[in-house]
Amino acid sequence: METASQGRVQQHGIVGMSPGAYARVLIFFLAPAVLVYTLFSVYPLLDTIISSFYSKQNDGSYVYNGVANFVTLLTDPTWSAPFWNAFINNIKFFLIHMLVQNPIGLLLAALLSLPVLRFRTAYRTLIFMPTMLSVVIIGFTWQLILSPLWGIAKMFLQAFGLGFLFGPWLGEESTALITISLISVWQFVGIPMILIYTALLAIPDELIDAATVDGLNQFQAFFHVKLPLIWPTIGLVSVLTFVNNFNAFDLIYAMKGALAGPNFSADIMGTLFYRVFFGNQLQLGDVSMGATIATMMFLIILCGVMIYLFLIQRRLQRYAF
Amino acid sequence: MADVKIGNLHKSYGTVEVLKDINLQVEDGAFVVLVGPSGCGKSTLLRSIAGLEPITSGAISIGGRNVSDLAPAQREIAMVFQSYALYPHMNVENNMAFGLKFAGVPKAEIADRVNEAARILQLEPLLKRRPRELSGGQRQRVAIGRAIVRHPKVFLFDEPLSNLDAALRINTRVEIARLHKLLKATIVYVTHDQVEAMTLADKIVVMNKGRVEQVGKPLELYYRPANLFVARFIGSPAMNTLAATLDGKGKAAAVAGVSLPLPAAVSGTGEITIGFRPEHCSIGKTGIPARVELVERLGETGYVHARTADGAALLVEVKGDPGLAQGAEVRVAPAAGHLHLFDGEGVRLAGT
Ligand SMILES: Nc1ncnc2c1ncn2[C@@H]1O[C@H](COP(=O)(O)OP(=O)(O)OP(=O)(O)O)[C@@H](O)[C@H]1O
Ligand SMILES: [Mg+2]
Repeated sequence: METASQGRVQQHGIVGMSPGAYARVLIFFLAPAVLVYTLFSVYPLLDTIISSFYSKQNDGSYVYNGVANFVTLLTDPTWSAPFWNAFINNIKFFLIHMLVQNPIGLLLAALLSLPVLRFRTAYRTLIFMPTMLSVVIIGFTWQLILSPLWGIAKMFLQAFGLGFLFGPWLGEESTALITISLISVWQFVGIPMILIYTALLAIPDELIDAATVDGLNQFQAFFHVKLPLIWPTIGLVSVLTFVNNFNAFDLIYAMKGALAGPNFSADIMGTLFYRVFFGNQLQLGDVSMGATIATMMFLIILCGVMIYLFLIQRRLQRYAF
Repeated sequence: MADVKIGNLHKSYGTVEVLKDINLQVEDGAFVVLVGPSGCGKSTLLRSIAGLEPITSGAISIGGRNVSDLAPAQREIAMVFQSYALYPHMNVENNMAFGLKFAGVPKAEIADRVNEAARILQLEPLLKRRPRELSGGQRQRVAIGRAIVRHPKVFLFDEPLSNLDAALRINTRVEIARLHKLLKATIVYVTHDQVEAMTLADKIVVMNKGRVEQVGKPLELYYRPANLFVARFIGSPAMNTLAATLDGKGKAAAVAGVSLPLPAAVSGTGEITIGFRPEHCSIGKTGIPARVELVERLGETGYVHARTADGAALLVEVKGDPGLAQGAEVRVAPAAGHLHLFDGEGVRLAGT
């Protein structure tokens, strides 16, 4: 028996180390990560999901009531109207990032990788800079810039005789969400740029030389050789954008407060969740409904990521050079 | 096919001069090999011919047409890169057809040319595969195929065999020689493998530090190197070189304390360098005294490593087993007619 157990130890452990010592080593290295991850990621997620199946009674206790919260959220007009409003707005928020931020990021990355470019590092740093700034500062600064009273945007347009173009973009229902989205695009465009730029750098120069000998100009070489090779990175950037956008909250809260006005026109899932969970003005905080919205957000993101993993990523071929 | 003429070509990166006054003629249908140590500018010269590097001054003409200011695609050249540089996202067929599509060649002709190249290179079963599904040797053939379909006037190869294993390298070398005969192509080929250079070339260009040291037929470089650099660079194992002093009449040279008679009188006096190849000397009763340091026995031949009293290394190739032990005192005599003499600057002495 003893030899058999020793044999097993040697298979799974480290030669010459007793099973007890090996277990201690395992725990020593694994425990910090497992603990932190469980405490700050797994537990809150599970607790949120569990909370969404309970509802608060008048005596303050919580009672299990199945999927009733979800039914309420999706069918009761007082809940479903704000929910769908936030959901649609969130999709718009995401689409603006996909259609503006990522193409601009791609363009900037392509420009950065031009061999003749000077001051490359300076451009890269400058464009990446807003990403590192606090959202509160960004929100405040842009509010000042766009202010109809003293904002520099108005004076700037007037100086070119384009004053008629100016509007109180942050204050109108039709433009508030778009304006905030574009500010977010401005802030985060550095991230797709850096990711795509890194992918472009990995493409060997000889490949572009070969394309040049084949008669392609820089532009054509980009579209026919480089672009097909960086689709996997663009896919990754898209899924990151999706996750970030559906978890967004801070910029809208910093610029428009929890009400995401005017008239909830800039309300997205994050701000809706905030109002419901913590309460706002006359609205009382509701842990159960808040958890229900949070669980919906989790499911939406899960669906999006699954679609990416199982439908899109499989079609994108990764290339090693 | 066409000839290539390079006149007074200079190329600098900023203040660093990488190519210095290169003059070169490649005859129509010739196979020219550029050799030289790493960093001497072979790739830069090849890329200049291709138009991938702008040149600082000078002229390049292909088939009598000055191409110095033309884009690579207009120079009617094709290049095979060291890393093959196949488009990873296209199959073999599209890799070969890609450039032709951009040049506006009609579909039917593209198909003909691709099929012809595939037949010549035995690529037919592989046409639908992606590069990553090919072995190194197959990728190499696709890269050559991509060059062939362009029907170029000049083929440019940059160390095309360096990523292949030894056996495949020999096969592909033979293959390239066969293609050269078949296509009657003008080829400029960069390598730092001597055997490739000697076996493939009609003409070898030896480069060093951005200059052309010597241009000549393979055996010319072997038998009559124009200077010490070429003497040491061509031939494996490398030539023995020793400091020597010419006597007043130019009839003998004093080397390591003995006087070596020279085959013909040379003009000049003073310090020179003599050279002779390991295969062109023997161990005997006369000659340069040296002490044996190591004997390598390879069976058919053997190499005797020896050192003279003033510390110069000598290598002698012998038939079979020389029967010498370490520490033995020997004398090394260069074979008549195989002694090379170089002046103080390392240039071959006139009349030798
Ligand atoms: N873009 C560049 N900027 C500055 N110097 C360069 C550049 N490209 C090459 N060089 C220099 O030019 C010289 C010649 O380079 P080249 O690549 O032609 O050498 P090579 O003979 O092909 O060497 P190898 O056998 O290692 O391939 C080298 O000294 C190299 O450092
Ligand atoms: Mg090179």
